[in-house]
Amino acid sequence: MADGKRVIVVGGGLAGLAASIRIAEAGVAVDLFSMVPVKRSHSVCAQGGINACNEVARQQGYSEYQHFDETLIGGDFLNDQHPVLEMTNWAPKIIDLLDRMGVPFNRSHEGYRDLRLFGGSLFRRTHFAGATTGQQLLYALDEQTRRFASEGKINMREFWEFLWPIVEDGRCVGIVAQDMRTMQIQSFRADAVIMATGGCGLVFGKSTNSVICTGGAASRCFQAGAWYGNPEMIQVHPTAIPGADKCRLMSESARGEGGRVWVPSKKGDTRKPKDIPENERYYILEERYPKYGNLVPRDIATREIFDVCVNDGMGINGTNQVYLDLTHKDPQYLTEKLGGIMDIYEKFVGDDPRYTPMRIFPAVHYSMGGLWTTYTAGDYQPDAPLTEHKPGNEIPVGTEPGLGLKMGAHNNAMTNIDGLYAFGEVNFAYHGATRLGANALLSCIFDGLCNGVSVVNYVREGDQTPASNLDPSIFDNATKQEQDKHDKLINSTTNASGDRSLNPYQIAFELGEEMNSASTVVKTGPGLEKCLSKIEELRERYTKVELGDGAMWTNQSLSFTRVVGDMIILGEAIAKAGLLREESRGSHYRTDFPERDDKRFWKTSVAKYNASSGKSDIEFVDVKAGLVKLRPRNYGKTDSGPQKTEKETVGAS
Amino acid sequence: MSEAEAYSFDADMRKANRKKAVAERSVIFKIKRCDGPGKPTRWESFKVPIKEGANVISSLNWIAANPVTTSGQKTTPVVWDSNCLEEVCGACTMVINGRVRQSCSCLIDEYAPLEGDTMTLEPMSKFPVIRDLWVDRARLFNNLTRVKGWVPIDGTYNLGAGPKESHDHQQMRYTLSECMSCGCCLEACPQFTKEEDESKWDTSFIGAHAISQARYFNEHETGKKLKSDRMDTLVGEGGINDCGNAQNCVKVCPKGIPLTESIGAIGRSATVHAFKQFFQGKK
Amino acid sequence: MSDNAGPIAKHHFLMRRLHSLTGIVPIGVFLIMHLTTNSTIAWGGLNSRAHGEGWMNRAIATFQHEVSFINNMPLLLIIEVTLWGAIGFHSILGVYYAMSGKGNTGEYKYSGNMRYTLQRLTGYFGVFFIFYHVATLRWGWSFLVPGGAVWSHEAASSTFAAALQGSTDGFTGWGLLVAVFYFVGVSGLVFHFANGLWSAAITWGITISRPAQKRWGVVCAGLGAGLMVMAWASVVGFATLDYDQAVAVEKAMMDQPAHAELEHEIEAGSDTAMVDQQDVDG
Repeated sequence: MADGKRVIVVGGGLAGLAASIRIAEAGVAVDLFSMVPVKRSHSVCAQGGINACNEVARQQGYSEYQHFDETLIGGDFLNDQHPVLEMTNWAPKIIDLLDRMGVPFNRSHEGYRDLRLFGGSLFRRTHFAGATTGQQLLYALDEQTRRFASEGKINMREFWEFLWPIVEDGRCVGIVAQDMRTMQIQSFRADAVIMATGGCGLVFGKSTNSVICTGGAASRCFQAGAWYGNPEMIQVHPTAIPGADKCRLMSESARGEGGRVWVPSKKGDTRKPKDIPENERYYILEERYPKYGNLVPRDIATREIFDVCVNDGMGINGTNQVYLDLTHKDPQYLTEKLGGIMDIYEKFVGDDPRYTPMRIFPAVHYSMGGLWTTYTAGDYQPDAPLTEHKPGNEIPVGTEPGLGLKMGAHNNAMTNIDGLYAFGEVNFAYHGATRLGANALLSCIFDGLCNGVSVVNYVREGDQTPASNLDPSIFDNATKQEQDKHDKLINSTTNASGDRSLNPYQIAFELGEEMNSASTVVKTGPGLEKCLSKIEELRERYTKVELGDGAMWTNQSLSFTRVVGDMIILGEAIAKAGLLREESRGSHYRTDFPERDDKRFWKTSVAKYNASSGKSDIEFVDVKAGLVKLRPRNYGKTDSGPQKTEKETVGAS
Repeated sequence: MSEAEAYSFDADMRKANRKKAVAERSVIFKIKRCDGPGKPTRWESFKVPIKEGANVISSLNWIAANPVTTSGQKTTPVVWDSNCLEEVCGACTMVINGRVRQSCSCLIDEYAPLEGDTMTLEPMSKFPVIRDLWVDRARLFNNLTRVKGWVPIDGTYNLGAGPKESHDHQQMRYTLSECMSCGCCLEACPQFTKEEDESKWDTSFIGAHAISQARYFNEHETGKKLKSDRMDTLVGEGGINDCGNAQNCVKVCPKGIPLTESIGAIGRSATVHAFKQFFQGKK
Repeated sequence: MSDNAGPIAKHHFLMRRLHSLTGIVPIGVFLIMHLTTNSTIAWGGLNSRAHGEGWMNRAIATFQHEVSFINNMPLLLIIEVTLWGAIGFHSILGVYYAMSGKGNTGEYKYSGNMRYTLQRLTGYFGVFFIFYHVATLRWGWSFLVPGGAVWSHEAASSTFAAALQGSTDGFTGWGLLVAVFYFVGVSGLVFHFANGLWSAAITWGITISRPAQKRWGVVCAGLGAGLMVMAWASVVGFATLDYDQAVAVEKAMMDQPAHAELEHEIEAGSDTAMVDQQDVDG
């Protein structure tokens, strides 16, 4: 490009692709780094849909502003309010754009975009493309990216792993990355770097996330000085299919259609489920919640299932699994109503859920927390925060761009490091303590499209020295730093003791087990302290880790072993912030502090890496609010009754 | 049974295997290994304990943590490509017991139900091997560029909604849009052959995957604007006419995409395109 | 496409579609006519106007009559050369295209895949067979014929039977081989045509939906089955034909000098009396 300015985007999911397209379109060269061909990014796994106000809902009293209000209450007011307002205002336009890109959104019989109900709202505001909305959106952006790549405006670097952000005088000027095939480590200059690297499900061992969702890239930025916001806010979905390799989501509609959750009453009963008579089954939710039974809200279901398995040890055959039973229903009916998910279960588990009870367990699904980012607030500045918005109330603010965020302000979605941005799931700002279903796709694309403009402006208008004019030694040193780390790991293959406790897969496994049991659904002070000491032990062992493969070509073990160290560091921040947040809010539930404590904790937990101790320091800073007044998160008081509205509020898709 | 499954080979046999699967058993994994391009290939066997619900991925994970062959030889963890493990990303495609499929959805119970049964894992044969089971499918994505697989929108600015579309038309397009570029159709295609020379990619057979995607974009009101360009490619060397109608593609497609219908549809477009070109075209 | 690409690449689409087209017109159409003519040896007995008494004699006569008719066509050589050209074009391109694929029926035992491979095998074999067939029977390369029979259009049945049987008095070992070769050859070509017709409908975009492809498949299979019966009937008919009997019938027909002229008039239907005449002659 004429001015020689370049932007690096790390991650090729929805956020990274949206950013790349927006920036390339503005005429700034983009280098797009991804560990997988971008079409295979984790965004493909999203199913449910994408929220946006639409004409039908609007004429029934819905508005962008109400979407905004819903997102805040959903997030238990831990969200940064201004970016959320801007995002919900953009939402309908984002849908239009995706529509123009050719996303096959489901259609009504008249040919308009079809809509479905989703959690946290009484209005149909969720647009969808079958049961694979994430896949369809990602493909649309992938196609546009391919178009720009074919025109030379986006330089694709697929199968490259991000290793380190190059920070010079508090400003990010490039990255170090490694070609996962040739193992070549190289520094790349950039006038701005966007992290769009998604979540960190693998820290918890098995999750609903893809295998690249280690949080490794975010952890490396964290170690390089970027702050990490609300690390403890991890969303756990109540019903997933536990697999030998990962957990796959099982839609909640199974319970809606009459599914019953149970375990054998007798601990360790090894009989087949069909052989266990009715009076020897413990219907967990029906017995504990006679009124709502299996249709209790998601967070309760998640906690109870967890409690029965982890605390009481009553899971099937002593494992962390319970039955989700639909076998009392007519198979034909099930095929009609739940055909899609029946097939998924059958394909991956091998049993037909029409005849054999499904075995499910809650699973880590999404990280609301992420790299801490800042912004410049837009023009909407009410004199005082507003109370709850209800349909029909006057809408206090318009929908034109620039009301929530100042459009194009250099620091929108920028981390505490100048020139280092965080977009999508790795940006902590939007979802607070719990994300509403079908808001994830929105926040990813919004970040790319809206805040991509900020990146362009920062690169073009900023008075910083262009990266291309910086001293090469900065980049050479960064390469060397990473090469040394790499070589140290390679060298661990010689004279290896073979000690099982130093096996990286073993360390990762133990980390996952510990994080999953102590820092997800139900947390306690002592549990988190134990978790932190376990992490300490793992960290100690990791310093002597022994790599199993010394190859200098396509060494996946090396990549994995390296990221295990980063996961340990991130895990520590997650557990520590959870320990220090002595309240219950959204997904964060402490049995020893079961109430929300706004006085002490209506605050963002900000983790800062302490390089000397190798651990995180947690600070609590005020949430950036001012638009909407804090109120109790109480879905029960809405007109439709508690279970109908709340059951969909946790978890996406 | 879903459409995709109904098409897949040996569905009944695999179902029967599930029923007779022995609970605690060991299965031998025979894996074709290669340290890198140009390096010799070798076979290594691993004895893997199989637990309930095990699939190829979990078995490979086990081998990664215990890389010792059946003859007691210590070796390196097997390298393979994977990501979502839900059969929507397409990454973990490989040749299992001789036929191509995703390894994440490949349950051991369906293939090796008894103690000592063997699973054979090989990399896809139509793409260059990077290492072990990991192949370089860049050509597959290049083929999407060949057919200009995108909708040529004016830009990302707010210009209102896209074209209206009927319910049935959307359903048809949705079926095509589920393609995850896994490459099963290419691996099973007798006309799609391995081509390591990148300069020959643009004249080598493009395969069902890109043909179907071309149809997908031709069917969109705005995507149609590039139809003529797409057809120029598809009537050229390595285009639609190289199809030999073996129709393996549709049989192995894990998503049940009607690839052979796409081939027929593009065939018709090609006929029309050629006549148009002849009687009123530029050249 | 690069400018220095060969003619096949340069006119890729045209070549491909001509390849497809020539398989149907003229080759496929000719195949249907050829098999119809040849199979008269099996059903020509139905022809009550044939020069012969008894089923077999009438069959021999009918066949001879058809062959004579063809040989009396004006500009026959042009028709022949066109046909040879089309077959040559279809064969050379076909072999060239077929070489670009690599069958995999070992791993993927689907019926469509089997047909794909069979289409190519029958193509290769068909080229060989047609060459032998035309060279020995049309160009008179009798050194390739066991027993050295030379085909004559004036003694069509007998000379063909001799070529198939390896001698003028019954089967020899080599003759049996030729007969089997013919059997396999024509079967393969019939399959090749029927399957090609099915696949051409997809190539040209005539059948798109799966049900349409299936329905057209049934039609092609039906046509193929019909042609196959004719093909087998022809081969079996000539392979089991009694040489002397055929010679006798042919001789009788040749002894009718006015034969050809009469025939034309009968064809035109101008004089029904001639029909009686012919019957008497027979």
